[in-house]
Amino acid sequence: MIVKHSMMEERRTGPSSFSLFFHSKKLYKGLGLLLVFLFFLLPVLRLIWLSFVKEGSLTLHYYAEVLKEQATWVTVQNTLVIVLGSTFLALFLGVMFAWVVAYVHIRGKRAMQLFIFLPFVIPSYITTLAWTQFFGGSGPVAAVLSWLPGDLQVPNLYSIGGILLLLGLSHYPLVYLFTVNVFRKIPRDLEEAAATSGLSKKQALRKVVLPLALPGIASGGLIAFLSNLDNFGIPAFLGTPANIRVLSTYIYEQVVGFGPEAFSRAAVLSVMLGGIALMGTVLQWMILRRSRVTETVRSDSSPRIFLEPVKQKLLEGALWTFLLMTSLMPLVAMGALSLISAYGVPFTFENLSFKNYEHVFFTDSKPLAALSNSLQLALVTVAICLVLGTVFAYLRFKSPGWSTRAAELFMTIPYALPGTVFALCMIFMWMEPVPGWNPGIYGTVWILFISYATRFLVLQIRGSYTAFLQIDPSMDEAARTSGARGWVKWRKILLPLLFPGILGGALLVFLMALTELTVSSLLWSSGSETVGVVIFGYEQAGYSTYSTAFSTVLVLGILLGGSLFMIFGKLWDRKVLKAK
Amino acid sequence: MGQKGVEGKMIEVIGVSKDYGSFPALQNVDLEIKKGEFIAVLGPSGCGKTTLLKLLAGFMGPTAGSIVMNDSMVASAKRVVPPEKRNIGMVFQSFALWPHMTVADHIKFPLRHHPNSRKDSKRAMSLRINETLALVGLDSFAERFPAELSGGQKQRVALARAIAPLPNVLLMDEPFSALDVELRMEMRKEIQKLHRETQASIVFVTHDQSEALAIADKIVVMNKGKIEQIAPPELIYTRPETEFVATFVGKCNVVKGHWQDGRFVPAIDSKSSWPDLGVAEHFKKKGLYPVRPEQVRLSLSTGTETQGRITYVQYQGHEIHYTVEAGVETWTVHEPISSPRFQVGDAVEISLKSAPKPEKDLVFS
Repeated sequence: MIVKHSMMEERRTGPSSFSLFFHSKKLYKGLGLLLVFLFFLLPVLRLIWLSFVKEGSLTLHYYAEVLKEQATWVTVQNTLVIVLGSTFLALFLGVMFAWVVAYVHIRGKRAMQLFIFLPFVIPSYITTLAWTQFFGGSGPVAAVLSWLPGDLQVPNLYSIGGILLLLGLSHYPLVYLFTVNVFRKIPRDLEEAAATSGLSKKQALRKVVLPLALPGIASGGLIAFLSNLDNFGIPAFLGTPANIRVLSTYIYEQVVGFGPEAFSRAAVLSVMLGGIALMGTVLQWMILRRSRVTETVRSDSSPRIFLEPVKQKLLEGALWTFLLMTSLMPLVAMGALSLISAYGVPFTFENLSFKNYEHVFFTDSKPLAALSNSLQLALVTVAICLVLGTVFAYLRFKSPGWSTRAAELFMTIPYALPGTVFALCMIFMWMEPVPGWNPGIYGTVWILFISYATRFLVLQIRGSYTAFLQIDPSMDEAARTSGARGWVKWRKILLPLLFPGILGGALLVFLMALTELTVSSLLWSSGSETVGVVIFGYEQAGYSTYSTAFSTVLVLGILLGGSLFMIFGKLWDRKVLKAK
Repeated sequence: MGQKGVEGKMIEVIGVSKDYGSFPALQNVDLEIKKGEFIAVLGPSGCGKTTLLKLLAGFMGPTAGSIVMNDSMVASAKRVVPPEKRNIGMVFQSFALWPHMTVADHIKFPLRHHPNSRKDSKRAMSLRINETLALVGLDSFAERFPAELSGGQKQRVALARAIAPLPNVLLMDEPFSALDVELRMEMRKEIQKLHRETQASIVFVTHDQSEALAIADKIVVMNKGKIEQIAPPELIYTRPETEFVATFVGKCNVVKGHWQDGRFVPAIDSKSSWPDLGVAEHFKKKGLYPVRPEQVRLSLSTGTETQGRITYVQYQGHEIHYTVEAGVETWTVHEPISSPRFQVGDAVEISLKSAPKPEKDLVFS
C-alpha cells in the first residue's frame, strides 16, 4: 500500500519535476566541470601562456634568452644525469625487493615491508638531513672508517652522486609498491609451464616473469622518474652548498631571486621541466603499448622459491643489513647527533644535552608556530579532500563516463606536476585570478590552503575510489531491496565498510600536507611558515643542530601516528568488520 | 500511468526491452506473474535472465516497455521506482551479507526500513526476528557474524533477510550456485517450505535446468534476450515448443525428416514412421522430431528398424549413456541399467518408446 501511495505522489509531481531534475543534473555536471577546469587546468595554461608573453604581446624572447645561457644547459644536464641515474637505482632496488618478497621464502616479510616503506613516510628532506649526519664528521660512518686501516675518506654526499643516491633510496619504495602485487599476480602455472617446456629458472625469469611484470615495472619506473624530477628537498639540501643545480632548484632560485623577469624566466624553465616529465610519460606509454595486459587474477602470496637454509639466512642477513643501514641507522644517527651541544664537537657523553631542543621549542618561536600552521593546513586539507574526494570518487564509481574520467585527469595534473612548477602555477593563478583584480590571496596563508587542497585531492580520490571498488555492488543492492534509502544506506552499510580505505587516503593526504616543503617554500609568507620551510631555513642558515632536533621530533611524531593508525586499522577489522 | 490490474496478478512485464549500448540484452519481453506463484527463469549465461531480474528489482530501468507491480506502474523508459520503494525482497548469488552486522541485525534492518513493515512496534519487531530465525533454522545463531557462518548458514541468513518484512515479491538471483551439490538439494526443500509459508510470488533465476524443474510452478525459458517458452515444468520437459527448449531442458536429439499424415518419417530411414507423441506445431512445420534420450529404446539389430552403431559408452550409476551414430546423425541415448548392455562398435536398432503419460493428463494447470 505504501508503495502505491508513494507512486501516486510521484505521479502527481509528474514529468515536469522529473525533467527539471534531469536538466539540473546536466547543469551540475557542467558547473562541476567548469570548477575543475578553473581550479586544476587553468593555472597550468596560464603558466604556459606567461612564458610566451612580454608586455602584452606574444614573444619567444624569454625562451631565446634562457636557452642562450650556459647555466641552463648545465642545469638540464645535471637534471638528466641525476634523474635517470636515481630512477635506475630506484628501479633496481624496488624490483629486486619486490621479487624477493613476492617469490622467495624468507622470514619476517611483514617487518621487512615496514622498513621498506619507512623512507616513503619520512619526508625526503629529513632523510637527507639524517644522511648528512650519518656521513658527517662526527657521525658513525666517519668513526668506523677512522678505525679501519688505510686512509679511507667519508664519501661526500654534497655531490651529484650523493643526490642520485638519496633520490634512489627515497623513491625505490614506490617501485616496490607498484611491482610487488604484479609479481604476485603472475600465475604460478605460467612458470611451471615454462619449466615443463624445458626452461631453467633463470630463463623462465627472463622470458616469462619479467615480461609479464613489465607493466608494473614501467608504472613504478614512471612514478620514480616523476618523483625524482619533482624532488626539491634533496637537491636543495645537498646541491646548493656544492653549487649543483637541477631544474627544480633552479626554478626556485629564479623565483626567490626576484629579478625583473624572474617569473617569466621561471615559467620558461617550468615548461622545460614539464616537457621532460612528458617525455617520461610517453616512454612509459610506449613500453606499455607493446605489452599485453593479462586479465586480473587472484594474487598469490605464498612463496615459490625455497632456498637452502644457509643461503636463506645469508639472504635475510643481507636484506636486513641493507634495510637497517639505509632506513633506520641514519634516523638514529640524526637523533643521537641532535643531542650534541654544538656542531662539530665529538659525540661523547660530556657533550650531550637537550640544549638544541630547548632552543627549538622554547627560545625560537618559529618552529612551534610552523608546527601549528602545518597541522592546521594538514587538517583543513584533509577535511576538504575527504569530502570532495570521496564524493567525486562515488560519482566516478557510479557513472564512469567521459566527464568523470576527464575531471579525474585534470585533478591529477597538480599532483603530477613538479612541485616548483605547481607552486608557480598557483602564483600566476591567484595573484590576480581575474586580470586587474588582486584579492590578496597570494602572500597570505590562503594560497597554501588552496594549493594543498588542489595538489593532494587526487590522493584522496584514489584512496576512496579503491575503497568503493573493493565493496561488492550487491552490498549496496541488498541494502536497497531491504528498503534503505539514501542516508540510512550510507550510515549503516556503506560507510562502515568504506571507512578503512577512505581513512588510508586521508592519512596519506595528512602526512603529505604536514611535511610538505616544495610548494610551501615558494608560497610561504611571513607568519605562514610551514614545518618544511623552517627546517629548510635552519639548514640554509647553517643551524644543522636545530634542524636535526626539530626533525627528530617530527620523525617520532610520524612513527607514533603511523603505528596508531595500524593498530586502529587492525582493531577496526577485528571489532567492526569481524575479519578473521 | 498505472493500469487497472486483473485480480490475482502480481507482476506484469509489458513489452520490455533493455539495451546495453548497442547490445540488446532483452527484446520485447512479456511476462505475467500471479500472486503466490513460483516462477523459475531458466537460461544459459548471457540470455538476459539477470537483466530481467534487475529490472524487476528496480536497479535499472527498461529501454522500452513497462513493468506493473501490485497494480501500480513501477518502471517505464521514462521513470523507475527505485528498489527501496518497491515491496520486494531479494536474495543474491554472493549472499551479500554485511560483514559488520550480526545475523539478528541482518533481519532487523529490513524490518526497520522496508516499505512493507516500517511501522512495526519494537515488541512486534523482536517477535518477528525470532519467528524468521526459527523459520530458516538459525535460532541459536542470532548473535553470530557472517564470518562465523558456513556457506549454507550464510544463504539462510540472506533468505531470512529477504522474507522478514513479508514482501509481495521475492527475487532470487541464482541463490544456490555458490553452494555445493548436497547443500543445494537441501536448500531446494527450504525454498519450497518458505514459499508455502510466506505466500509471496517468487522469481527464481537459474541456469540449472534440474533446479528449475524441481521447484517452480512455472518455468520461463530464455535465450538471447527473448522468452522461448512459458509453461509448467512437466510441459516444458515433455512438450518443448522450440529447438532451444528441447535441447536445453530435455537434452533432446532433434531428428530431421518430414511429417506425413500425422506421422514422422526420419530422413535417415525412410522405411520407418513414428507416431506423434505430442510434438509441437513448430517442429511439424520444420520437419523435425525432438526425441529425449530416455525416450529411445536400443535393441540388437534385426534389420527391420532404424540402424545405428554405438560409438561411446558412459556408465552413470543409475543409467547408461550411449552415443549412437545413425546415418549422418549422432544420438544421445539413456538406458536404465536393467536393459541389455552394448559395447562400442555394436550395431543396434533404434526405436521409440511410447509416451510416458497421455497428453490429456499433462495439460492440467
